[in-house]
Amino acid sequence: MKNKIEIQNVNKFYGKKQALKDVNLVIHQGMFGLLGRNGAGKTTLMKTLATLHNANSGKITICGVPVEHAKEIRNMIGYLPQDFSMYPTMTVKESLEYLGVLSGMNKMLRTERMELLLKRVNLTEHQHKKVKALSGGMKRRLGIAQALLHDPKVLIVDEPTAGLDPEERIRFRNLLCEVAEERIVILSTHIVGDIEATCEQIAIMNSGEILWKGTVSELLKNAEKKVFTANINKKYLSQIKKQYIVTGMLVQGGYSTVRMISENKPDLQGVLPTEPNLEDAYMYCLFCHGCVVAGGDI
Amino acid sequence: MLFFKECKKIIFSIAFLIYCAVMILFYFTQFHNDCSGPIDKPHQDNMINYNPYGSIIKEDPEIVMPNAIEGLINEYLRGNFKAYPFGFYKSVRLKEKQKNQVAEIIFELSGITPEELNSFEDYEEGCYLVDENGQVTYQEAKTLEFDIPENLSYERFRELMREVDKIIGGGSDYCDEFILGNFSLVPKTYEDALAEYEEFMQEDNLIKGYARLHCDYMGIFLSILPIFVVVSFLNQDKKSRMQDLIYSRPISSVKLIFTRYFALVICLLLPIILTTFLADARVNNIYPDKNLNHFVMYQYMLGWLLPNIMIVSAVGMLIANYSGLLAIFAQGAWWFHSALATGNLTGSIGKFTLVMRHNNLMEQDVFYAQWNNIIFNRIFFTVLAIVIIIFTVFIYELKRKGVIHGFQPNFKK
Repeated sequence: MKNKIEIQNVNKFYGKKQALKDVNLVIHQGMFGLLGRNGAGKTTLMKTLATLHNANSGKITICGVPVEHAKEIRNMIGYLPQDFSMYPTMTVKESLEYLGVLSGMNKMLRTERMELLLKRVNLTEHQHKKVKALSGGMKRRLGIAQALLHDPKVLIVDEPTAGLDPEERIRFRNLLCEVAEERIVILSTHIVGDIEATCEQIAIMNSGEILWKGTVSELLKNAEKKVFTANINKKYLSQIKKQYIVTGMLVQGGYSTVRMISENKPDLQGVLPTEPNLEDAYMYCLFCHGCVVAGGDI
Repeated sequence: MLFFKECKKIIFSIAFLIYCAVMILFYFTQFHNDCSGPIDKPHQDNMINYNPYGSIIKEDPEIVMPNAIEGLINEYLRGNFKAYPFGFYKSVRLKEKQKNQVAEIIFELSGITPEELNSFEDYEEGCYLVDENGQVTYQEAKTLEFDIPENLSYERFRELMREVDKIIGGGSDYCDEFILGNFSLVPKTYEDALAEYEEFMQEDNLIKGYARLHCDYMGIFLSILPIFVVVSFLNQDKKSRMQDLIYSRPISSVKLIFTRYFALVICLLLPIILTTFLADARVNNIYPDKNLNHFVMYQYMLGWLLPNIMIVSAVGMLIANYSGLLAIFAQGAWWFHSALATGNLTGSIGKFTLVMRHNNLMEQDVFYAQWNNIIFNRIFFTVLAIVIIIFTVFIYELKRKGVIHGFQPNFKK
């Protein structure tokens, strides 16, 4: 069986609003990042893959199985929704038990997988705690455990790190990387740092369209010689913002070190080309597709 | 396994605990209070009221024919006919052509010509009058006098009554189901009462009488309260944002919905099993020397009350897919209408009556006169409940695939 997800010409409408526009993607084993701003259509695509939405046209196959074969697909996928939550009065163990039953797992398999996963997500000692008593980070780890419970071939995680503190975020990202060794993991996020730390293959979405797809290094390469830094007097800052896409600013006394994107070297005193990071590359991609302009979004 | 997990979710919810408390409280305030001692044997010397022993249906042409014909003439003169076509009250006004047909039938039944009928303008309904001294007298209705033609047989009379019922649209006072109950009730004599008492005191009838009373009381609230438990149970998914997690699991919608439904029905039945047990113990306590069949109480409970739980739960599961509040409102309206439409507390059981009433330990002949209706009614609601659940599975499956959100379709490209 093919260990990949193929998405061909997928369109999705909510009434008159088009949420997905002719989406084409091939996702192979390992971590795949789906980057885009809020409202870009990432969650719609994730839900369509998780059989929770039906596409109006196009074709999706997961490991060779058409997404219309919902039962087979549901056996293959683990899904962690954006606003993950569980019955608050159930304990961690009871929650996993319940979802294990809904996944059609027998008692022996459930017990075995639960033990393994609770250990993996570091929740073994919290297994008798009620869900309502868990911290945000613990809840997300429980989310990963429930999504992996029936050992799916594909893991779909939608905005999993929103609201987590830096330590929890790093722990969570590492956990995702570990589980991606043996399956396809699709990480949807608007946080560039999460993608940078975990994914090699990425796609950028905007207004329901795939703007760009490829590897992180290719995206970075595209932005080479397009990112510059300069020390600017604070009084010229507003003018600079109007002329360039500013991706960073470090204020030091009366001057600011400004990081900006430009097709050509800016005509500014002391401006130097610099190595792009993923955030710069992402912004450059949006800029190239006309999704952002200097001075504000369009 | 899933069944027990769903039961646990239901049983530990606040709505279920309140439901249990109300049902048990209702049992104690109604049935338990009502059944404080053995039924008294009728005494001939306690005849201080009119009609002290209640009424009895007696299929006597001498009684039913004049009463029914008078009723028909009065309704004709009043201009509207009372009917319960689907268990719900309806006031029927006939068109000119239909009125003429009824007038022709009245002519055959009473000899009153259509001209006499239509020219009679002094009709007044019978009523009670209170004079200055507080004396109550009944003033007879001002209506047309009639004589039943000698050649009118009872069979032809019943045939004509069926015809009238058909013209009215069914469910009228003259249909086969209601005619005797409406026009053939006669006051019980001491002998009737004594015979009924002795029949009632036979062990089999005695326990059935109490079983009916228990079901009558519990059926009132069982036709509304389960909806709150159902809505609260289903809302847990929405409130806990569990829907996407459940939707994306491999379990089939058929298995999930049916398991949840049966878990609800069984849990909702639990306090009723308890009140049945208490009722049975109460009766046993009142008649310690009787050898009662204790299964009767449970048989009645399952046959009478289980369909109520099933239909209310099914309606709740279907509508709560869209909105819990709407489910409560819809069930509340149905219950209110059914409870009001019932009117009569004894033997008030139509084919589609949700709240079946027979608030009487005795009068089993009135109850058994409705037996066909009762059987139809309970089977109808049981089958309807299963059909609604199958439809709920279909709706749930569409929601799960994102084809519809609530009941709003999302088919459009």
